[in-house]
Amino acid sequence: MVTPFVWMLLTSVKSLGEASQVPPVIIPPTFHWDNYAKAIVSLPFMTFYFNTSFTTLAKVVGQLLFCSMASFAFARLRFPGRDAIFMISLSVLMIPGQVYIIPQYLIMKDFHWLNTLAALIVPGLFSVFGTFLLRQFFMTIPKELEEAATLDGCSYFGIYWRIMLPLSKSGLTALAIMTILWSWNDLLWPLIVNKSLTKMTLSAGLAYLQGEHFTNYPVLMAGSILAIWPMIVMFILFQRSFIEGIALTGTKG
Amino acid sequence: MESQGVVSPSPHIHATTHKRSNLARSQWLWGYLMIAPFFLGLLGFYIWPIIQTFYFSFTKWEAFNTYSWAGLDNYKRLVQDVSLLHALRNTVTYVVMFVPMSIILSIIVATLLNQKIRGLAIYRTLFFLPVVTMPAAVAMVWKWLYNGDYGLINYVLSLFAIKAQNWLTDPKWALFAIVVVAVWSSIGNNMIIFLSGLQGISSSYYEAASIDGAGPFRKFYVITLPLLTPTIFFVTVISLIGAFQVFDLIYMMIGSKSLMVENTQSVVYLFYKYAFENNDKGYASAVGIFLLVIIMLITAVQMKLQKKWVHYE
Amino acid sequence: MKKMLISMLAITTVIAAAGCSSSPNETAPAQGQGNATSTETVELSFSSWGGSAYKETNDLLIQAFTAKHPNIKIKIEDTPNKQYWQKMEAAASGENLPDVFWMNGPRFASYAANGMLQPLDDLIKQDKVDLNNYPESLVKLYNYNGKQYAIPKDFDTIGVWYNKALFDAKGVPYPDGSWNWDQFVDTAKKLTDPAKGVWGVAAALDSQGGYYNTIYQSGGSVISDDKKKSGYDSPEGIAGIKFWTDLINVHKVSPTLAQMTDTEPLDMFQSGKVAMLWEGSWNATTFAKNDYLKDKVDVAPLPKNKQQSVVIHGLGYAMSAKSQHPKEAWELLKFLGSKEAMDIHAKTGVAIPAYNGTQDTWVKSFPNMKLQIFIDEVKYAKPYPVSKYTSKWSSLEPEILNKAWAGQVSAKEAAKQLAAKMNEALAAEK
Repeated sequence: MVTPFVWMLLTSVKSLGEASQVPPVIIPPTFHWDNYAKAIVSLPFMTFYFNTSFTTLAKVVGQLLFCSMASFAFARLRFPGRDAIFMISLSVLMIPGQVYIIPQYLIMKDFHWLNTLAALIVPGLFSVFGTFLLRQFFMTIPKELEEAATLDGCSYFGIYWRIMLPLSKSGLTALAIMTILWSWNDLLWPLIVNKSLTKMTLSAGLAYLQGEHFTNYPVLMAGSILAIWPMIVMFILFQRSFIEGIALTGTKG
Repeated sequence: MESQGVVSPSPHIHATTHKRSNLARSQWLWGYLMIAPFFLGLLGFYIWPIIQTFYFSFTKWEAFNTYSWAGLDNYKRLVQDVSLLHALRNTVTYVVMFVPMSIILSIIVATLLNQKIRGLAIYRTLFFLPVVTMPAAVAMVWKWLYNGDYGLINYVLSLFAIKAQNWLTDPKWALFAIVVVAVWSSIGNNMIIFLSGLQGISSSYYEAASIDGAGPFRKFYVITLPLLTPTIFFVTVISLIGAFQVFDLIYMMIGSKSLMVENTQSVVYLFYKYAFENNDKGYASAVGIFLLVIIMLITAVQMKLQKKWVHYE
Repeated sequence: MKKMLISMLAITTVIAAAGCSSSPNETAPAQGQGNATSTETVELSFSSWGGSAYKETNDLLIQAFTAKHPNIKIKIEDTPNKQYWQKMEAAASGENLPDVFWMNGPRFASYAANGMLQPLDDLIKQDKVDLNNYPESLVKLYNYNGKQYAIPKDFDTIGVWYNKALFDAKGVPYPDGSWNWDQFVDTAKKLTDPAKGVWGVAAALDSQGGYYNTIYQSGGSVISDDKKKSGYDSPEGIAGIKFWTDLINVHKVSPTLAQMTDTEPLDMFQSGKVAMLWEGSWNATTFAKNDYLKDKVDVAPLPKNKQQSVVIHGLGYAMSAKSQHPKEAWELLKFLGSKEAMDIHAKTGVAIPAYNGTQDTWVKSFPNMKLQIFIDEVKYAKPYPVSKYTSKWSSLEPEILNKAWAGQVSAKEAAKQLAAKMNEALAAEK
C-alpha cells in the first residue's frame, strides 16, 4: 500500500544512472538532492503552490457561501418555482463534465479569462453537490429554532447566518474538505484553460514536467513529492475532518 | 410562517392578511436573492454550456474556432468511428475490471478495520494516503514501478523467477495495469464510506446471530452484506459514473506515441484529443453527448435493478 | 443585511482580483494609440516555447532590446511546446495573439492563410531589412502567396550524436561522416551488447530526427512539391521507413518500441544505454550540461543512402496582424532578426542562428563537439515537409507507423496506410 510512496522518495534522490540499474539500487550511496533543484528550475513551483492554494481557497470560500445560501433557501424558504429550480440543478449532477467542458472553455476564451486564475476559480464556485449536501443538513435542523428566532424579530438572512450556519459546522467542514481535495488534485480543467507556466496549477505542472523530462524519473519523482506533500501534511493534521467528511457524503448520499 | 393571531376580530383581519402577504413576499425576495449567485452561476457556466454542446454536436469546426452547421454528419461519423468503438470497448473493460475489484477490496478492508485493533488510525491513514495524492503524481510513480526494464515490480518478480512483463506496453496487461492503480487509489475513499455504513448496522443483529451459533463468515453473509447493500448501491453508482469518465490516469500513464494508445484510451481521452488537440470541437461535442447517453442508460438500469438486490430497512 | 452585503462584496472582490491581477497576457494594454510617442511606455507580449534552455538567451535578448528602446517593455510568455499551439489557436480565434511570437514551418501556412499574421513586405522594404542575410530556403518557408510573414530565427539539422566511451569500450573507431547505411548498421551491431543492456542506436519513432531524413536519403520526399500527394507509399518512402523498422526487428541493434516508450531515447542516450542517437542540433546545450554525457558526447553527419540528405527546419519570428502596437512590435521583430540578436543565440548555444555569418560563434560554443557538421549539412539539406494544415496528417504519423515499429505490420503496409490517410487530409485542404 505504501510501497509506491516509499519508492517515490527513494527514487527522487537517485541519479538517472542509479535509477535505471538492474538490479535496482534500493538506497543510493549519496543522496542526489539536485534532482529537486532540477525540478524547481524547470518549473516555477512556488508559483504553482500559490496558484493552487489561492484558487482552492477562493473556491472553498465561494462554494461555502453560495451553496449554503442556496441550500438554506431551498430547505427553508418558500417561493414559486423553488422545487423546479432545485430539480433542474440536481439534474446537472447527472451530466458528465465532458458535456459542458468545451463551451465552458469557449466562454473563458470570450471573457479573455484563458490563462488567468479567474478561469480556474469561477466555474468551480458553483457546486450542485455542495448545495445538495448542505440542504440535507439544513433540513435536519429543527424548525422550532427558526420559529423562535422569527418571534425575536430575526430576518431570514439572520436565521441563515446566526442559526443555520453555526449548527451545520460538520456539513460545512465536510464540503470544505471535499472541495479542497478536488480542487487541489484537479487535472483536466487546469490542463485545458491554463497553458502558461505562471498560471498553472500543481497537477498541470506535473504533467508538463513529464513532458520536459520524459522519463528522467528521479527528477519526476522529486517534482511529484514537491507537488503532493502539502495535501498529505494537511491530511495528517486534519485526519478526523477528512474522514468524517467522506463518511458524511456517503451517508447523506 | 403563520402570524400568531389565528382568530381575530374583523378590524384586525385586514392587518393580519396584509402582514402575511408581506411575509410571503419577503420570503420570495430572500429566496430568490439567496439562490441567485448559485443558480445564476449554474445557468451561465453549466446549463447554458450543456445546451451549447448539444448545438455544437451538429456543427463542423474549422481552423481557429470557426464553425458551421453540419447537420447529422458528426453522428454519422460517430457510428462509423473505429477509434471510438475501441475507446468504448476499452472503457467498458476498464469499468468491468475496476468497479467490482474496488468495491470488493474496499468492503474487505473496511470490515477488517471495523474492529478494535491497535493502530487502527495508522492503518486508516495509510490506506487513505493515495486518495489525497494527486492522480498526476500517482500516475508517475506507478509508471516508474511498471517500467519494463528498470521497474521495481519486474525486479521483485524476478526474485521469484517470474518473467518480467511490459506492464504498460503489452496489450495483454496495459489496461489491467491501469486498473490496479485506480483501485489502489480508490480503496481509501470507498473504505471510509463502507466503514460508516458498517457502523450503522446495529450490533443487536450480531448478538442475536452469536446466540444462534453463527460463525464470523456466516454473520458476514447473512447480516453484514444484506444490510450493507444500500451503501454498496450508492458506491457502485458513483464508481460507475466516475469510472466511465476515466481520463487522468490514462492520459498520464500512456504517452501519445505509445503503441498502447488504441488499446487503452478511454472515451474521455478520445474526447479530449478531438476537442483540444485536433480542434475538432463539433465532433467532440457529439462524442460528449454519446457519453452522456451511455451514462444515463447505465444509471437508469441500475436504478431499476436496485429493487432486486438492495435491502432497505 | 450589513453582513450579507459585506460578504457579497468580499466575494466579488476575490473574483475581480483574480480576474484583474492576471490582466491581459496576450495583448498589450490599450493605453497607447497605434502610434505611441517615444515617451510613453508600451508593453509588448512575446511568446516562445524555449523552456528552461532559453531562459538565459531570452533574458539577454530582452536586455539588449530594452537598452535600445527604453520605452518598450517586453513581457515574455514561455509556454511548454506541447501546449504552445493550443494556446496560440485559442488566442488567434479570440484576436488575442501576442505581438511577436515564435512560428514554425508546419503551422505557418494555416496562420498566414487565415490572416492571423501581419505581412512584413512593406516594413522590410521601408527599413531596408536584407533578406539575403538568411538562407534562402528558410526565407521561402515563411513566404505565403508571395508575401513574407516571418523573419527566420534559426535553423536546425540532424546529426548522429554518439557516446565516445561506448565506442572506446568496443574498440570501434569514431564515425567520420563518410559512412552509408550498411556501414552505419555494422557500427551499431558492433556496439550492441545485450548482456550489458547497451544498444547501438535507439531507433526512435521520430519524424524530424528520423524518417524524414531517411526518406530524403533514399531519393524520395514526404510530400509532393505541389502539396497534393503523399510520398510515403513510394518505394523511396517505404525504404526510408524500413531503415528504422529493420534496425529494431531485423538487425536487433535498437531497443524495442515498448522499451522506448517506457524510457525515452533521449534518456537512454543520456544514461549510457544507447551508443548513437539521430537527433537535432538543438540538443547541444542539453548534452553539454548533462553530467554523465558532457565529456563523452560528440556528433557525426548522417550516413548516406542513395544520396546524402538531411531535413532542415528553422523557426521564425512572426507578428500578430491585430497587434495594438504594430510599430513597436516591428521594432522588436526587426531586432530579433538582427545580427546582434543572432550573436546572442550563437553565444548561448541554444540554436544555430539563421543570420549568415553568425553560425561560427555557435560552432565554437561547445568546442568538444564537432558542431560544424550541422552547418556543413546545409548544403545538401531538404526542406521540412509542410502543407496548409500540416498537423492534420502529421499527427497521424506516429499513430499509424508505430505498428511497423512494433513489428506488427511491415513497413510497406504502414507506409501505404499512412499515405492513404495523408492524401485524404491533403485533399480536404482548400
